[in-house]
Amino acid sequence: MTTTMSTPGGTEVRPAPAKSPVRGRRQEGGTILAVPALVWYLVFMVGPMIAIFVIAALHWPGMLQPVTFAGWDNVRTVFDDPVFWDAVRNTAVQLAVALPIMIVCAYMLGYYVAQKPPGHRVLRYLLFIPGLISTPAKAMVFYAALSPDGLVNGALKSVGLGSVTDAWLASPSTALACLIVLDVWGGIGFTAVLFAARLGSVPEEIGEAAQLDGAGHWRTMWRVHFPVIRDYVGVVTMLQFLWTFFGSAQHVLLLTQGGPGSSSTTLSFLVYQKAFIAADLGYSQTVGVILFLVGLVGLLTIRRTFRQNY
Amino acid sequence: MKHGKSWLPAHILAWAYAALLLVPLYYLLASAFKTNEEIFASPFSLPTSLSFGNFGTAFESADLGLAVVNSALVTAFSLALTLALAIPAAFAVARSTGRLGAFVEKVFSLGFLIPTFAALFPTFLLAAATGLFHTRMFMVLFLPATAMPLSVVILVQFMRTIPKEMEEAARIDGASTFGVLRHVYTPMCMPGIATVLLLNFLTFWNEYLYSLVIIGPDPSQRTVQVALPTLKSLTGTDYGVLTAGTVLTLVPVWAVYTVLQKRMQQALVSGAVKM
Repeated sequence: MTTTMSTPGGTEVRPAPAKSPVRGRRQEGGTILAVPALVWYLVFMVGPMIAIFVIAALHWPGMLQPVTFAGWDNVRTVFDDPVFWDAVRNTAVQLAVALPIMIVCAYMLGYYVAQKPPGHRVLRYLLFIPGLISTPAKAMVFYAALSPDGLVNGALKSVGLGSVTDAWLASPSTALACLIVLDVWGGIGFTAVLFAARLGSVPEEIGEAAQLDGAGHWRTMWRVHFPVIRDYVGVVTMLQFLWTFFGSAQHVLLLTQGGPGSSSTTLSFLVYQKAFIAADLGYSQTVGVILFLVGLVGLLTIRRTFRQNY
Repeated sequence: MKHGKSWLPAHILAWAYAALLLVPLYYLLASAFKTNEEIFASPFSLPTSLSFGNFGTAFESADLGLAVVNSALVTAFSLALTLALAIPAAFAVARSTGRLGAFVEKVFSLGFLIPTFAALFPTFLLAAATGLFHTRMFMVLFLPATAMPLSVVILVQFMRTIPKEMEEAARIDGASTFGVLRHVYTPMCMPGIATVLLLNFLTFWNEYLYSLVIIGPDPSQRTVQVALPTLKSLTGTDYGVLTAGTVLTLVPVWAVYTVLQKRMQQALVSGAVKM
């Protein structure tokens, strides 16, 4: 998507527009080497992707049940299902809350780290930790912390707020909020390191010039540095959008199973749940198609919003 | 001067967030050495004794030892296969100037747009159709495919920096195309290979949903990420054992991160940029 990247040496590498006649002649011997990777990719990634659209048009009430052609029936069933609309609402809330908080906080934190304040190395090390922890491990930490006798309630009790304690994951009003907190908790740190790395390659003179003109750090951060890395912010937002949008299935599965009721069912969890728990495969893959299309539209929208405009 | 008084709120906020990251991790580590009663009574206190009883229980009840071995096997073989596929492909794309090479590159760059998760069920069908359902084998074949776009694109960037005089010199010495790949390109893009390895090590080791659905619950096959959540139901709500198990699964990643911190951050950052 972007054409430059930094190598571990820290230098910018640009794909060289190599166009020498010598190379042109030699290519026939080499291009075939790309075939295995390509075949692998088509079989394991593109094939299943296409299959989603096919299965979405089938009536398939379980692995061993007879399959019939359903046409648009699945779409109608899905749109008539209140659970689907709950999932749409939950996903919308999740994205609308988690993404802005994550990106804005991470940008500011990244800016802070990039200024190399005292202790920034330690901070960088710590901020990265959530990026290393696997989803099940993260979920287990939160499961233990949010359980009725866990960390959060213990902390509330010790500061005299025993009355607000709750079974956080088992209560319809807080289950979705817990999932959002989990996303934001780890997302900010990891994203901040990405921003810090990118901000580190912005020439220092830019910031210094702004400060000489009397701009404070707040102004420098938003009016000077932000426009410079706007494109990159867009890429990172796309990334977090995809992770939150598709990745929520794992958190939901591990922590709340979509409940209580459908209060924490997200769209991507619905795909999983209908396929592997309810065995309604046509329904599941119809939601999969919707997920895919919404994801694509979301990506393009974010890309357009953050396009460099200077 | 640069970080004067006006920075105080920023310092406080940044370190407050760092504390917010650390508290659950401290809780995780401390609880691993405690009993349920101790955790409930005083969630923040240091453990009174450093007994590894919880670790032992976690190890036995969820067969975590075997699961670690399975995870290591899947990760190692997937990494090897990823390199075996991605290095030649990147080599082909990086050297080619024709339309075909550009097309292949396009296919892989578009791969970033494919949300792999959506294809979970069709992949499950593919596993069933190939007769590799409920085996680690399928994951070893499948994971490299998911890693292909990123790996190829990163390696191509590195290979494009290799001067073509290197190849010409090797050609004069009578090297074949394969020889050029082996003796010129591969050694010269070792940093790129390291990046790809680190990045995919993390992804493969931490992979959960596909492993859960495809490898399934069989203790002799399942990976550590699948085994871990079973502690939740196996032990009832013994948080000591649950957290001990979680700590165990984090150790390999943590060790690699601490040793290769700089390199790993760069790998992950470049991975995200390529998205």
